[in-house]
Order: sequence, then structure tokens, then C-alpha cells
Amino acid sequence: MSEATKPITAEEAYNNENDKVLRFLKPRFHEEAFPTIQILGYIGSLILTFGAYFLVMNHVLPPVALLSVILVLAVFQAALQLGVFMHIREGRGLAWQLIPLYFVFFVALGMVGMSIWIMLFKSGVS
Amino acid sequence: MSVPLAEKTGQHQLPIEFADEKESIKITGFWMFLVTDVLIFASLFSTYAVMRTSVAMGPTPDQLFHMGPVMLETILLLTSSFTIGLGVYFMRKGQVRALMGWMIVTILLGAGFVGTEIHDFVTFAQQGATWHTSAFLSAFDILVGTHGAHVTFGIFWAITLLFQLRKRGITPQTARKVYTYSLYWHFLDIVWIFIYTFVYLNGKIV
Repeated sequence: MSEATKPITAEEAYNNENDKVLRFLKPRFHEEAFPTIQILGYIGSLILTFGAYFLVMNHVLPPVALLSVILVLAVFQAALQLGVFMHIREGRGLAWQLIPLYFVFFVALGMVGMSIWIMLFKSGVS
Repeated sequence: MSVPLAEKTGQHQLPIEFADEKESIKITGFWMFLVTDVLIFASLFSTYAVMRTSVAMGPTPDQLFHMGPVMLETILLLTSSFTIGLGVYFMRKGQVRALMGWMIVTILLGAGFVGTEIHDFVTFAQQGATWHTSAFLSAFDILVGTHGAHVTFGIFWAITLLFQLRKRGITPQTARKVYTYSLYWHFLDIVWIFIYTFVYLNGKIV
């Protein structure tokens, strides 16, 4: 087998000068010797959950601010689950799941956000 | 110049659930299913956002919810999400017994979650708070009930996977099935976090 036809990993292939613009297409997977990320993710999700609980139970903020803060904590936790446990950025090439996911988050935010927004006009509805 | 890729010749290993092209594309397909499931829950959350102040003669969220069982359910589901994450970790290492062990732990935690939730719903019904009582309770029951039905389905799905794993071991096909199951389970955990925040904790903000 000559030097030119020796198998190379995709990692090496996309480091070729010609193919650098195509690096977003290279396979991407994480390997760990110990499930550190999973354990940290679990601890992080517990902290976020109990953080929200204590914020609400001790009424540390006025209602609207409190709801906003705990919703932000929930979004952090969703991002944590997606990133740590669902391996969202992993794929054989481009992580195709990202595009429909961005789109559906946009639609879902629109649906729920607009519903909450319209209910703020109590006098106008009844 | 065409250079053979080590991934194609099997000299550099992809994770087993992605190794086969046909199985790998099914994982992408499962993401598309999850995307549509987001829409189901988004519409139920919208309904709840609109209906939650319409309590009629029934209890308000603050009077109805007890945080004890809710925290128990949250911890059970968060922990089960962690254990199935460990299951996938050991699956990639090729350790079938560790994978099956963590899946059994996940199933038990999920069953604990569903049991607590059913107990909660029965308690509400005994207090006269059923989905006939008010628009708030209709929206609450359909939102939380849809999530609970998903979890119940997930438990039975995991049991079928255990039989397949025992019979066939970790192959590209069973590995892909376990991986999509883990995606489903983590997704349900995310939905629960939003129910926990927007339904239960929000009900306690007076």
C-alpha cells in the first residue's frame, strides 16, 4: 500500500489545506475514560432545581421577576440536558438535528410566549 | 485525490450506535419525532398559560399543589435521566451488563415517578379536583397527564429493549434503539422541568 492510499481519519482529512472550509462536516464524538461530564451534569441539574425551589419558597423577588428567573433556570437546565446527556452536537457529519431543533424552539417560544403575552391584557379579554 | 477514510475501513471506531449508516440515519429521524413532540407540549403549555387563572369554583393552584410529592417526582426523574446517561456511556464501552443494570435502575425510578404522580392525581380527585372542575384543572390534567403517559410508554419501551439486549447483546441495531430511547427519556426530563417550573413553582408564586 503506497503512502497516498493509506487510510486516514476524518480528523486528519479535514485538516488538509483544501478541506478546511468543510470542517463542519467532520464526525464529532466525545470519548471519556470516566463519566465525569454526566456526574457534573447531574449535580448541576440538582442545583438548578433546588435553586428554583428555594427562590420561590422564600419569595425573594416580586412575582413577575421571580417567574422570569425560574424560567431562565429551566432553560439552563434544558440546555444542560441537551448538551450533556443528549449529545446534541454529536453526529457523523453535520449535526442535522440542530436545524429543526432551532426552528421548533422558535415556534414553541412564539406559541407559549404569545399566549402569556395576550393574557396580560385581562381587561380587554373579558 | 481520493483517500480512504479510516472510519469507512473500520480502523477508527465511531460509537456503535452511529457505526452503521442505516441505523445512524434513524437517530436523526428520531430527533425529527422529538421536534414534533415539542410542538405537542408547546400547545399544551399554551393552553395552560391561558387557562390557569380560570379556576371557577374549584381550588387555585396555590391551594391544590403540595410541593413534597412534586419534589420527589422531580428528583426521581432527574436521577433516572442521569442513570440512563450512564447506561449509554457503558453501552459505548461495550459493557452490556452495566447497560442493562442502569436501564433497570432507570425503569424503577420511572415507575416510582409514575406511581407518585398517580397517587397525586387520585388525592386531587378525592378532594373533588377533577378535570371537570375548572378550566385550570382541565388544562393541568391534560398537560401533566400527557407527560405521565409518555413516561409510562417509556417504561414499557425500556422493558422490551432489555429482552432484546439479553438475547442479542450490543449490536449496531440494539445500540441505536437504546440510544433513541435515552434521547426520549432525557426529552421527557426536559418537559418535566418546564412543568415543574411553569405549573408547580409558578402556582406557588402568589
